[in-house]
Amino acid sequence: MTDTPLISLVDATKTYHLESGDFTALNHVSLDIMENDFVAIMGPSGSGKSTMMNQLGILDVPTTGNLYIEGRDVAKMTNLERTHLRRDTIGYIFQKFYLIPLLSAYENVEYPLILKNKTHDTTGRASAMLEAVGIDKEKGEHRPNQLSGGQQQRVAIARALVNDPKILLCDEPTGNLDRKTGFQIMEILCELQRKGKTVILVTHDPKIAEYAKRIIRLDDGRIVES
Amino acid sequence: MIGDIFFQLSVRSVKVNFTRSILASIGIVIGVVAISCMGMLGTNMSLQVEDQLAASANTIVITADAIRMGPPGMGGSSSSSSSSGISKTQLNKIKAVVGTNGTVIPIYSTSTQFTSGNIQGRGSIYGMNPSDVNEFLTIGNGTNIAGINEALIGLTLAESMGVDVGDRIKISSASEGPPTNNTASASRATVTVVGIIDTRGTVSDSVSTDNGIVVSKEWYTAQYGGKDQYTQVNVLANDVDQISEIEEAIDAKINTDKKKGSLRISDASSQLDTISSTLETLTLFCLAIGGISLIVAAVSIFNVMMMSVNERVQEIGILLSIGTETGEVRRMFLYEAFILGIVGAAIGGVMSIVIGYSVVDAMIGTTAYFFMPSSIMYVPAGMFVGMVVCVLSGLYPAWRASNMDPIDALRSE
Repeated sequence: MTDTPLISLVDATKTYHLESGDFTALNHVSLDIMENDFVAIMGPSGSGKSTMMNQLGILDVPTTGNLYIEGRDVAKMTNLERTHLRRDTIGYIFQKFYLIPLLSAYENVEYPLILKNKTHDTTGRASAMLEAVGIDKEKGEHRPNQLSGGQQQRVAIARALVNDPKILLCDEPTGNLDRKTGFQIMEILCELQRKGKTVILVTHDPKIAEYAKRIIRLDDGRIVES
Repeated sequence: MIGDIFFQLSVRSVKVNFTRSILASIGIVIGVVAISCMGMLGTNMSLQVEDQLAASANTIVITADAIRMGPPGMGGSSSSSSSSGISKTQLNKIKAVVGTNGTVIPIYSTSTQFTSGNIQGRGSIYGMNPSDVNEFLTIGNGTNIAGINEALIGLTLAESMGVDVGDRIKISSASEGPPTNNTASASRATVTVVGIIDTRGTVSDSVSTDNGIVVSKEWYTAQYGGKDQYTQVNVLANDVDQISEIEEAIDAKINTDKKKGSLRISDASSQLDTISSTLETLTLFCLAIGGISLIVAAVSIFNVMMMSVNERVQEIGILLSIGTETGEVRRMFLYEAFILGIVGAAIGGVMSIVIGYSVVDAMIGTTAYFFMPSSIMYVPAGMFVGMVVCVLSGLYPAWRASNMDPIDALRSE
């Protein structure tokens, strides 16, 4: 572990040009996230949580300012380099799970491995990941629409972890789950953080945010508490 | 490719939207069948004509420069003919040039009306030396002309008039205008059929006997006059390779005085070129019509692909957000278009053979040329074009999918 932040957002602004006029979703935000951190990003609707997640997940780049991942300036990367960085360094867990409907649970987990290695998984890693999140082989053959919400989110976590990323970006990971299942999922995330992953969590639920070591509050595109 | 996850995703997408995909493929099936069948039909026609013309490939046809509009001797000075045909002097010159390198056959011909009982027919009548008949005509039933009032009849005309060997045919020239040469009498206008000439099809020697009658030159000139003014002279060369040489020699010998009008010398190759060129144009035109159905199919495939992209926006967003390259997303949709194309082309290929065979048989009357490479090649060619059209139709939808903004795509419901 080094002193260099794993993620560094420096004076980042994100402005959307809308028909009704310019809208600044992030306003001169600076933030450092160290390796193995557990950060919860909170704030009311429209505060800029999703925009910040998109920036941290390299799905978007700041209009002004810089984003550094492992010391590399994202703005200077090509689209392909950003795609590979997303594939190899970041694991995404979404509120709506976002599993690929045409693939089975196992294939969903295997998919990032295929993207990286350009071949099917022969090491058993995908199966091991599914087992680790509590999905057995029989359930692994099911399509996402044949699984419960909790099971789908477990599959999504397995998919996010299969390429052994340093960062786990979780956008309201318990938002579509009942309270009990939500806590089970949070236990899994805590365990992953304990094993060395950097977990960044967006939530509006204070109970969920309590799992994080650090809470960042956003309001009107600015960090009001860090 | 089959093990490729993106190919598997494409196959599953096609299966999920099976009915829609099959309907789109049917467009390709129709397109492939249309261009394959049109192409094969045109080629089969060309091959048949080429074969028929090749049978008379050793024939040089010499005609007077102007086209005779009526029988020589009919109408006298008011005849529509601007030429009196090939003279005896010219014929002797031709014979001298050809010598032992071939056979010279002088022929009189015109068109006239035939009557057998109550049935009337119309066609060509040829007057020639009976000894020349066997040089290039085949008498399938009966014998050659022996007497002056005997005639041979083409199979097509015989069948249409219900005439057989031994029947009598009245050859009337009344409708052509009154004969000026009164050596022809009414009794001479009736002939007895002694033989039936086999079908010749399309021929390059201008002697289309299928719908005609052959009489002796004596009978012909007695009926129509114009003795020693031949309509055409055919030269059957012993060696096909000598054709050009003989043509040049004849031309040098008889076409010396351009002011007096020259004779036209032609052979099968020039006619073959003209007919082939016409058939090629016809085939191309037919292919273009077939191509229109492929354009319609392309629009259908494009529509289905756009629907597929629009229905899978969120899925595309997921793929892009978790690290799928834009090229991989593009490939996935091109695979889908390719699958629609290959299914359509495969079904179209099989149907092209079945339908093409039936169409060629019905329209040309023979399938002897159907499986020849230049004909059957239209099936794989049509399939290939069908697949290419499909993939081209998928280009824009695939490009659109791969260039989506993953954030916007994920937000879509």
